[in-house]
Amino acid sequence: MARKRSPRAASPTPPASTRVVALTGASAFIGSGLMARLAADPQIEAIIALDVNRPTLPSEKARWVELDLTQPTAAGEIERVLEREGVDTFVHLAYLSNPTHNSTWAHELETLGTVHVLSACAARRVRKLVVWSHTCVYGARPDNPNFLTEDHPLRGNPRSRFVRDKVEAEREVARFAEKHRNVVVTVLRTCSIVGPTVRNYVTRYFSRRVVPTLMGFDPLMQFVHEDDVLDAFHLAIRGDHRGAFNIVGEGVLPLSALLKLAGRIALPIPHFVAYPLVHALWTAQAVEAPALFLDYLRFLWVADGQRAAEVLGFKPRYTTRDAFLSFAQAHPPRRDGAAAGVSP
Amino acid sequence: MSRPGGKGALGRDPFAAPGGATERPTEAPASLDGFADRVRRELDRAEHAGTRRLGTPHMRGRSGEIDPFGLDPEYEARWHRFFDFLYETYWRVDARGVEHIPAEGPALLVGNHAGLVPYDAMMLKYAVLRHSPVRRGVRPLVPDFVFHFPFLGVLLNRLGGVRACPENAERLLERGELVAVFPEGLKGLGKLYRERYRLQRFGRGGFVKLALRTGVPLLPVAIVGAEEIHPMIGRVTWVAEKVGIPFIPITPTFPWLGPLGALPLPSKWLLQVGPPVDLGNAGPEAADDPTLVGRLTESVRQTIQEMLDGLLRERRSVFR
Repeated sequence: MARKRSPRAASPTPPASTRVVALTGASAFIGSGLMARLAADPQIEAIIALDVNRPTLPSEKARWVELDLTQPTAAGEIERVLEREGVDTFVHLAYLSNPTHNSTWAHELETLGTVHVLSACAARRVRKLVVWSHTCVYGARPDNPNFLTEDHPLRGNPRSRFVRDKVEAEREVARFAEKHRNVVVTVLRTCSIVGPTVRNYVTRYFSRRVVPTLMGFDPLMQFVHEDDVLDAFHLAIRGDHRGAFNIVGEGVLPLSALLKLAGRIALPIPHFVAYPLVHALWTAQAVEAPALFLDYLRFLWVADGQRAAEVLGFKPRYTTRDAFLSFAQAHPPRRDGAAAGVSP
Repeated sequence: MSRPGGKGALGRDPFAAPGGATERPTEAPASLDGFADRVRRELDRAEHAGTRRLGTPHMRGRSGEIDPFGLDPEYEARWHRFFDFLYETYWRVDARGVEHIPAEGPALLVGNHAGLVPYDAMMLKYAVLRHSPVRRGVRPLVPDFVFHFPFLGVLLNRLGGVRACPENAERLLERGELVAVFPEGLKGLGKLYRERYRLQRFGRGGFVKLALRTGVPLLPVAIVGAEEIHPMIGRVTWVAEKVGIPFIPITPTFPWLGPLGALPLPSKWLLQVGPPVDLGNAGPEAADDPTLVGRLTESVRQTIQEMLDGLLRERRSVFR
């Protein structure tokens, strides 16, 4: 049962620990998995699931409040929820895991949606804010160091709306954290998430039997297991850790080794052919990512998980190799005769 | 191995599509469906061949051995014969002073650079591998632009090269590795033959700052022989920049002899590692003092120049 608070009561001493958690993106992978974890956590009294779609609620502790972050009224609605339920921790997961053609909506959701969340949190004095981000914000460049630390500038890929929206969202969050020092702001930057159940553009890419690669490039890649991501969020919710953390699996593997592990066949395409080809296929909605994402199959963008280990206490149970194997074993090569490079 | 009721010497065709006898279409497919079927069958064959070979424990175990910076020991081992040939027979490298390199723990090796293609980095690596008592590996730092190109970046990375930046260099040294830097960089590689063995400017002293910050020993290395492998008599810059490479070299053999012109000449190489350079008692904060860094950079450059001059006097001739 949610605690009721009088509307004007800004608590003189904020609650010392997390009790009431509100999260956006509740019907997506991380949101639903996290709700299940929080439902099993005795310290959490109530979970408010905010999403435009109805999520599967794990227990009576959780309630669904319909919310569309792309509406201009979203900030006001969030404020009302925060006040009514006495939310002390806000977890903002309403970000896209995959690039989309609907770039206007994507921009509204990721950048403007974040702004709505932040203004509501500022108005209602939330104690903690946990935000989900992605290591793609560092950008895949040939001049990246081999291990990107959290203080590395977020160069992203200015021509990719998917990456740029996330970089802008992070910038807004950083500005909020700067201005509201009393709020504990934690940003979790996950690398590509793989595992037996999660589905995103990365898993779709590796699900093919014949996987297109860029001829002559073999970047080192890293993954994090879906269970480890949920652990990381749980840790961020339970403890108070400010700042950004790279949530990654341990170790790196080159793309060629990953394809061998999964029993896939690599199809090298010269890069000057690949970019226009993928651009055409993306426009025809035949592939899972636009041409700019080929940079992430070409150059280095490996993040260093040291800070998460030391400060957050995050120790992934799966290395990059094990995480990828757990995905590969659950997704043997498709036998439906899909032609190379084209998904059905 | 014979199987009952089989076809031919091998019995059942191991590449047959699952669930059926071998079907090999003998005429062109009449329709798109037929073509799709054919693609599917080809993929099945490739997959059978591939996964049968790749599913073996040997291949699966192998893929986990790359170090965090991309070095692949098995891949490197396959190049040993080639580099051994270059080291012993082709260039007859005569290495001295390798005992100055510590048997364990990090150190920064600073060398002169020449020859268009960075064979000198590889020869330094092999010199240390052969002569150091514990077969230590060397991680050469490679400039950014290499990783723009296909093949080249991956090749150098799997052989131990790492992108040159302070973060990478510090991490490698923290892991106790031997890191090799060539401050002359591209200017050194692109030296004309008439400028040989005259050391170009040693950059902005990044390697000195690195040594000061991390406190690792700094060892000068002089390599004689690399300048003559591709003696450059000219450089064409204007067309090259459009293509993306820094310049097109003109040597007595390239581009006239085509690909043959890309073969290096068999000069005689001498390689000397000097004792650690005395950086004074400067601590890590000295890295922010540009005057001190400039002075130390120049002194290292002088040391290497003197070592080079000594080796040149000693060498009987370019090819012997």
